[in-house]
Amino acid sequence: MMPSPPPEPLAPYSPEGEANGLRKIIHVDMDAFFASVEQRDNPALRGKPVAVGGSAGRGVVAAASYEARKFGVRSAMPSVTAKRKCPDLIFCSSRFDVYRSVSQQIREIFHHYTPLVEPLSLDEAYLDVTDDIRGIGSATRIAELIRTDILRETQLTASAGVSYNKFLAKLASDQNKPNGTCIIRPGQGAAFVQSLPIRRFHGVGPRGAEKMAKLGIETGADLATKDREFLRAHFGSFGDYLFRAARGIDLRPVRPHRIRKSLGGERTFREDIHEENALRETLDTIVELVWERIERAEARGKTVTLKLKYTDFQLITRARSLPRMVADKAEFSEIGHVLLNDLLPLPQPIRLMGLTLSNLEGADQAEEEDDSAQLSLL
Amino acid sequence: MKATIERATLLRCLSHVQSVVERRNTIPILSNVLIEADSSGMLKIMATDLDLQVVESLSAVSVETAGAITVSAHLLFDIARKLPDGSQVSMETADNRMTVKAGRSRFSLPTLPRDDFPTIVEGDLPTSFELPAKKLAELIDRTRFAISTEETRYYLNGIFLHVAEDEEPVLKAAATDGHRLARFTLPRPEGAEGMPDVIVPRKAVAELRKLLEEALDGNVAIELSASKIRFSMGGEGGVVLTSKLIDGTFPDYSRVIPTGNDKLLKVDPRSLYDGVDRVATIATEKTRAVKMGLDQDRVTLSVSSPDNGTAAEEVPADYSAEGFEIGFNANYLKDILGQIEGDSVELHLADPGAPTLIRQNDKSQALYVLMPMRV
Repeated sequence: MMPSPPPEPLAPYSPEGEANGLRKIIHVDMDAFFASVEQRDNPALRGKPVAVGGSAGRGVVAAASYEARKFGVRSAMPSVTAKRKCPDLIFCSSRFDVYRSVSQQIREIFHHYTPLVEPLSLDEAYLDVTDDIRGIGSATRIAELIRTDILRETQLTASAGVSYNKFLAKLASDQNKPNGTCIIRPGQGAAFVQSLPIRRFHGVGPRGAEKMAKLGIETGADLATKDREFLRAHFGSFGDYLFRAARGIDLRPVRPHRIRKSLGGERTFREDIHEENALRETLDTIVELVWERIERAEARGKTVTLKLKYTDFQLITRARSLPRMVADKAEFSEIGHVLLNDLLPLPQPIRLMGLTLSNLEGADQAEEEDDSAQLSLL
Repeated sequence: MKATIERATLLRCLSHVQSVVERRNTIPILSNVLIEADSSGMLKIMATDLDLQVVESLSAVSVETAGAITVSAHLLFDIARKLPDGSQVSMETADNRMTVKAGRSRFSLPTLPRDDFPTIVEGDLPTSFELPAKKLAELIDRTRFAISTEETRYYLNGIFLHVAEDEEPVLKAAATDGHRLARFTLPRPEGAEGMPDVIVPRKAVAELRKLLEEALDGNVAIELSASKIRFSMGGEGGVVLTSKLIDGTFPDYSRVIPTGNDKLLKVDPRSLYDGVDRVATIATEKTRAVKMGLDQDRVTLSVSSPDNGTAAEEVPADYSAEGFEIGFNANYLKDILGQIEGDSVELHLADPGAPTLIRQNDKSQALYVLMPMRV
């Protein structure tokens, strides 16, 4: 498994800031979104283990139905592995146009309740409902109404997490999945986080969890006992995030117009690799995973960056930009391989490989707006 | 199908419809126009992008054989453009081809069957009213510049039309991109009562405005439902534009229109526009901000850029409130000032961080709200 992309840094530690002006944040996450859409549109798939994604070659599972998850099938898993775990698994090819139109329906439902909607991908979003514009009375009630609206309009279920910041709301939506709601009230955040296994923290992958286990950190409570210096020493800037996360603190606002600047993924290996074929195969797998993310985020970009970390932790990146947007997965993969070829033979084995698409459409504009001091009307 | 038509008529019509056709299409037939000739001697030419369609009727010189076919919009347009002035163009279909002849030129174009050509199902359009084309054109001109181009807020990508009961029943058009807002109000036309709130997409607005330019003397019939809108102009043999509406909720914009701004600046819009334009020469791509210093009966415009130096200009004005400084995006300010007719414009200001209300006077149908920049 590869770790999720590192979360953006949280705002500076300030319990006062969190306590003042308590916010009401909902994280809505569709249940097994792509797979559920396929089951909805094809009754023959209902109740059966279904995976969306390519079954051939190095395909990866983009989404797995709950029936498939019982067998251990997970998203981002190579399809070959998934088939081994669940021989009866039915593969469907992805239909992004359909997912996009359903996504549009859900976003409209969100916008009925608040203008402050930050979509994370086609199937999940943060909502700031502090200003209860429809006069509904409670964030929990809004979350329930949203889930009811989604079910009525799309025949799909969603789970919701309600809390006072984004970090907790996201953890909460995962808590009673599928088709559930979980509320983390002010004052409960730190306790909730402490009960969690460390793997549930966004950004902590299997390798990260292994490293933490060696340091005696297995739960949020363990993490909370470590001071900031200790975490920084072992995890660098990620340590700051862990320090705040262990206390349930997150001051990031819900940003309705957030524009991504890059999209990518990386993988840390159990054993360092050096051999050329192994490197190429690894790159192919990473291309599959990252391209799936790119499609899900509907991103288009011009620059492809390959990142390698050698055994001695030396980090190198090589990038190539096109004068236009990267057209498709084949081109993305080709550029990745060209970048890798230029480095072969490697001077030493690598412990990590990553691939990123950046220079994304719309990002320039965002930069300009960030820099400018234009105030907003709405 | 076999028909003959004046080159000028064909060219005018194609220049209207061809801009509806997207340059790059994944569905081949969307690159085509549908040409329909009927035995009464009328020709109908239609283009669509699935969200918007334009149908124009025109008289042919003659229709020998009625029928219908689709051919590439851009090819036919380019051909019509290059044919000699005053020529007659004959179009005849046979064996999946359409032959276009004029003078000594002869073209044979590939075609696609008319039955494959998609048309927008309009359904019931229960609301129906008329507006003078001039009024509708003004409504568009006063608001369209504020339409957002940001696709994430798709519900701002058009002009919002709704009816309201102010002192009298009114029809309002509004557009905003989150930085500025433009609103145009007119008395509610007969038949518009009870109409649903609709958002007319940017592309439909642009195409409509072009069509209006050649039909400014008449009326435009507007028919709509919550999902579709149809504009018919030019009477018999005219043009009909049908568009899907943006399926979304326009924000309650009335809450951003300031009501208590107590600092009133009156100034000649042309002088202010020209002054802003001049000092903005110094501004860079990134910082479009122009600073307005307000003092007793004058405005000092200034821009300073680390790379390009500084600029300043004084504009005489009518101002008696407390002096202060406020910054605006020069282009936004020019967009609005460019819409003001007459020799005076009112800027109702509050403070450097609050929305400013701009209008010609309290009688004007158009009203603008502009959010400042921090300078």
